[in-house]
Amino acid sequence: MDRRRKREKTTVIKPSTVDSQSAPKISPSETFIVALSCVFGLGIALYVANSGFSIDLVTDPSRTIFFISLVELPIAILLFSRYRQNPRKCTYLRALGRGLLAVPIGALLNCLGAIALGAPVTFQFLPRTVNWSLMMSLFTAVPASCVLGSSWAHWKRIFAQTRPNGSVEYLICLPAHGAVIGGWFGAWPMPLDWERPWQEWPICVSYGAIGGYLVGLVASCVFVLACDRSQHVKQT
Amino acid sequence: MKDREVATRRRKVTGKWEYTWHLWATLLLHIIAIVLFTRGFLLTRTELPYYSNSSDVSESQCVYSSSHNNASSWTKPAVNRLIIIVLDALRFDFVAPSTFFPESKRWMDKLEVLKDVVSKNPTSARIFKAIADPPTTSLQRLKGLTTGGLPTFVDVGNSFGAPAIVEDNFLNQVDNGCIEHLFPSLYEDDWDVLISHFLGVDHAGHIFGVDSTPMIEKLEQYNSILEKVIEVLEKESGPGSLHENTLLVVMGDHGQTLNGDHGGGGAEEVETAIFAMSVKKPPSSVPVEYDTSSCQLDLDGKNVCVSTMQQLDFAATMSALLGIPFPYGSIGQVNPELYALGAGSWNSDASQELSESDIWMQNYANTLCINSWQVKRYIDAYSASSAVGFSSDDLSQVASVYAQAETQWLCSTKKLLLDKNKGTDALVPALKKQIEAYFNFLRTVAELARSKWTEFDLYMMGTGIAIMSISLIFQVLVILRANSQDGATLASSGYGWIFSASTFAFFLLGMRAVSFLSNSFILEEGKVAIFLLSTSGIVALRKSVVKGELLKESVGFLLLCTFCRFGIEIGLSKQSATSAFMKEYTSWILNIASDLPVWNHAAEVVPILVLILLAFWLYKATSGIFFGWTRKIVILCTILTYILIIVHWITENNRYVLAFMPESIGRTYIPRIIYAILLGQLLLLAFAQLFKGNCSDCKTNLVAKTTAMLAAWSSTIILLSGKQGPAVAFASIIGGYCIMRLCDIEDENGPKRSLSIGPFPVMQWNLFATCLFFCSGHWCAFDGLHYGAAFIGFEEFMLIPQAIILTLDTYGFSIILPIFGLPFLVATKYKADLGKHVLFRQLSQIYTTYGLITAIMTMFTIFCVTLHRRHLMVWGLFAPKFVFDVFGLILTDILICLASLYYFDQGKDDHHHN
Repeated sequence: MDRRRKREKTTVIKPSTVDSQSAPKISPSETFIVALSCVFGLGIALYVANSGFSIDLVTDPSRTIFFISLVELPIAILLFSRYRQNPRKCTYLRALGRGLLAVPIGALLNCLGAIALGAPVTFQFLPRTVNWSLMMSLFTAVPASCVLGSSWAHWKRIFAQTRPNGSVEYLICLPAHGAVIGGWFGAWPMPLDWERPWQEWPICVSYGAIGGYLVGLVASCVFVLACDRSQHVKQT
Repeated sequence: MKDREVATRRRKVTGKWEYTWHLWATLLLHIIAIVLFTRGFLLTRTELPYYSNSSDVSESQCVYSSSHNNASSWTKPAVNRLIIIVLDALRFDFVAPSTFFPESKRWMDKLEVLKDVVSKNPTSARIFKAIADPPTTSLQRLKGLTTGGLPTFVDVGNSFGAPAIVEDNFLNQVDNGCIEHLFPSLYEDDWDVLISHFLGVDHAGHIFGVDSTPMIEKLEQYNSILEKVIEVLEKESGPGSLHENTLLVVMGDHGQTLNGDHGGGGAEEVETAIFAMSVKKPPSSVPVEYDTSSCQLDLDGKNVCVSTMQQLDFAATMSALLGIPFPYGSIGQVNPELYALGAGSWNSDASQELSESDIWMQNYANTLCINSWQVKRYIDAYSASSAVGFSSDDLSQVASVYAQAETQWLCSTKKLLLDKNKGTDALVPALKKQIEAYFNFLRTVAELARSKWTEFDLYMMGTGIAIMSISLIFQVLVILRANSQDGATLASSGYGWIFSASTFAFFLLGMRAVSFLSNSFILEEGKVAIFLLSTSGIVALRKSVVKGELLKESVGFLLLCTFCRFGIEIGLSKQSATSAFMKEYTSWILNIASDLPVWNHAAEVVPILVLILLAFWLYKATSGIFFGWTRKIVILCTILTYILIIVHWITENNRYVLAFMPESIGRTYIPRIIYAILLGQLLLLAFAQLFKGNCSDCKTNLVAKTTAMLAAWSSTIILLSGKQGPAVAFASIIGGYCIMRLCDIEDENGPKRSLSIGPFPVMQWNLFATCLFFCSGHWCAFDGLHYGAAFIGFEEFMLIPQAIILTLDTYGFSIILPIFGLPFLVATKYKADLGKHVLFRQLSQIYTTYGLITAIMTMFTIFCVTLHRRHLMVWGLFAPKFVFDVFGLILTDILICLASLYYFDQGKDDHHHN
């Protein structure tokens, strides 16, 4: 699951240099709002699933994860499409379309990664795997696709080299890395013989991924704030 | 100038030793560490080949009270016949009334007949809580029960293969055979001891757990069987009848946990029950001093008493009751309460003036006298014959306690016993004192034996771990020193990258090492290994995306990981089929494999095709480059053996048996020819070492050497691995190739490529080797060995060749081939202009790193085994894993040393480059 394992973060961070190619720069407060709405989306999804349908990750992982994806999908696509690169050339609707297109592709990549790492492939687990991949796709590929489009160089820079540039890219890069790494660690309790229901695929992996995603969101906010401050210091 | 000459000459002398001496030092350190640790860890009692004879007893100072002079018995027989019904994994709370426990559970009070009998006849029937000595595995315990001795490790290992003997599915059939034969036997008179072993409870526990309906049904079934047995016995209990003087014993060999596991030393596992009932009613109960029972009302208001005894004492007590010689190696004492059940047969010849309890005491004292004499004899013989006997302090303590009891016996008690005229006033206190003295002696011996034979020697283990740590530090220092030398001679560009890659490599290694802390991860070690390997593959893919090169290789590596993953899952499902430690695990691949008939044909044809492909590839790959004539011969021989293997497989299939060739030739001679060819190839390669070819191109030379070596080994290993062999060989070639290519991209930032190989590719190589171990259907347990492979080419059992063959099969793909293949990694990095020294330094570096990785893993296994030495699964999982790892480490070290002999030429032409 560690497809995009982050490099040592500290070596990578440079004062962000705004160039015309990269995504529009947004203020720290706006970053906070985006991050908060993502967190709220998750929280609302879990809350509604629990109180409205009385399911949670442990009792019905498949539907709960699907529910999370359903709530996160509009939030992610609508929010991140606003920060698309080259807003003059690319309309808002086109960015939305890119985001939607990225859902199955990202899901496929995540699914393949999970299978290489040992996710079960029995038909019994198929719906869970599919839903989990959709969720991971929303955490990783969809925001990036909305913002970056099909620019291979940018994708490479953010996901293979972990060199985000500017606040939006932090918002894309760090939560995605967090989700993948969190999922990787989340898989570790699975073989233990505690015989708890949450040890099944993909419950604890989802917990790990969600946890990592949240940590990534917080971290991106912190980085954006830090960068902003350092830039202010430079300017004055 | 002169200095330089001297230096060159010295280099000539030291030659390859400069690069390889530390490999030998590491081997030595590891062997010392492991021998020490194993001494402390594995139970090290050696077995003595002696037997007790009935005439031996005359050597002791013990006597009989008059009448009984039967030469064939040691003690006066108290029972004529003995029926032992062993219920495997009988928990104590199956038998004892539920009121003995804080909480009544579903499975309690099911064997009601036993406690009814006990409450009805408190003198002739008893329930004991028997405390077993861990490891609580069936074979182990049965051995302990019959010999009265403490376990040795070899039995423990063997007994874990036992679940394979009885198919779990035949739960209901297991016991039916027992029942069929038990009842007719009860009416026959041609036996003295009847033993019936019921496995049902054990199996119900393993499969369903204790708190389950099948378990309760099983217990109820046993209840009715026991009811019938007791009924039969009571019917036949009249004077002169068949069972006039019979003792019925119903016992468990060990307990089980609520999950149905056993093997460790937990209270639930060691506590089992013994129920004993004498058909002939003994006159009175045991004297109060020796009565350990505690009584309680059961649910129906009946008084039930339960005593406690050590399972160790069972053999001695039964021997005493039957009047047969005690087992030679028994260190148990005759249990007073159990022995008292046989007291009914003594009244007849008792003199009138003594009370019944005094007669009993008299007999008991005499029995204890024989018992103590026999134990002392065993202890003496053991310390005389065994290398790791008791310390002299312990021995002298035992001797003094025995001497004390013996003097008392000779000076007072014996005289009193022989002198019938004296009153009982003097005799009884003397007997009591005597019994006390013997108790003291037997207790001392049992304590000593337990501490020496079943306790771990922590001091030894600690020393072993300390030496192992020293060896690790030594290896790390060697690597660091070599690194610093490299840093001095070569520009260390891209060093930052190497640093982060090694960090990641050590992170993965650390995760793997930490996972050994839990038995679950050891059970699924294959999955953990492939998880980590895939992770490293994903990181490599990421890297190759950054560089924009070698994408095909990294994707291919990931695909290979995925295939390996399925292979490992098939292996794990095989493990669960035979191992009692895993619940059912069905793999859909297996289902498909067994269902389709097409698959059967494919399973026969595909390996042959793959093998042909391998042979063809080998031919193509070696025809181009420069090879010495010896190596050419080796390669040709390998291709020949591939063809032989194909013929062997075809003849094995009866369907295609060729008419002109007898079957036996294909079965036995072809494998033997292949083994002989392997030997010939190795000799040839060693022989070629003597003649130094001109080392104009070191890299080609190294590649040629490596290829020849791998080709020589491959045929035998493929043959032993069976049909999966070619596929695994193919996978290992692809995997090796990918790792080799991928290690090329790792440092590129600088203008000059660093020559040193970071730990990342070596770690991948090692992880991949581990995965191959599991892919080829092995796992770290004694039932994971492919015993069938040992009989390829041999019809009958021969220890040494077959042990070697088994080692080749087990470690062929996971240790032998990877180690001899490691120079490929060096060869990819090497450039021709750098001279031989650089090459050797790299080679030595890579071997040290590989050894270090294996040693770290083994170190963690050792550490976790020490940590878990009281764990439930210590004998089931940790100890086999320990044995496999330790054996693997030693083998790795030895092979690394051999490889260093083979790959490092004498540095004759060094000075040209310097």
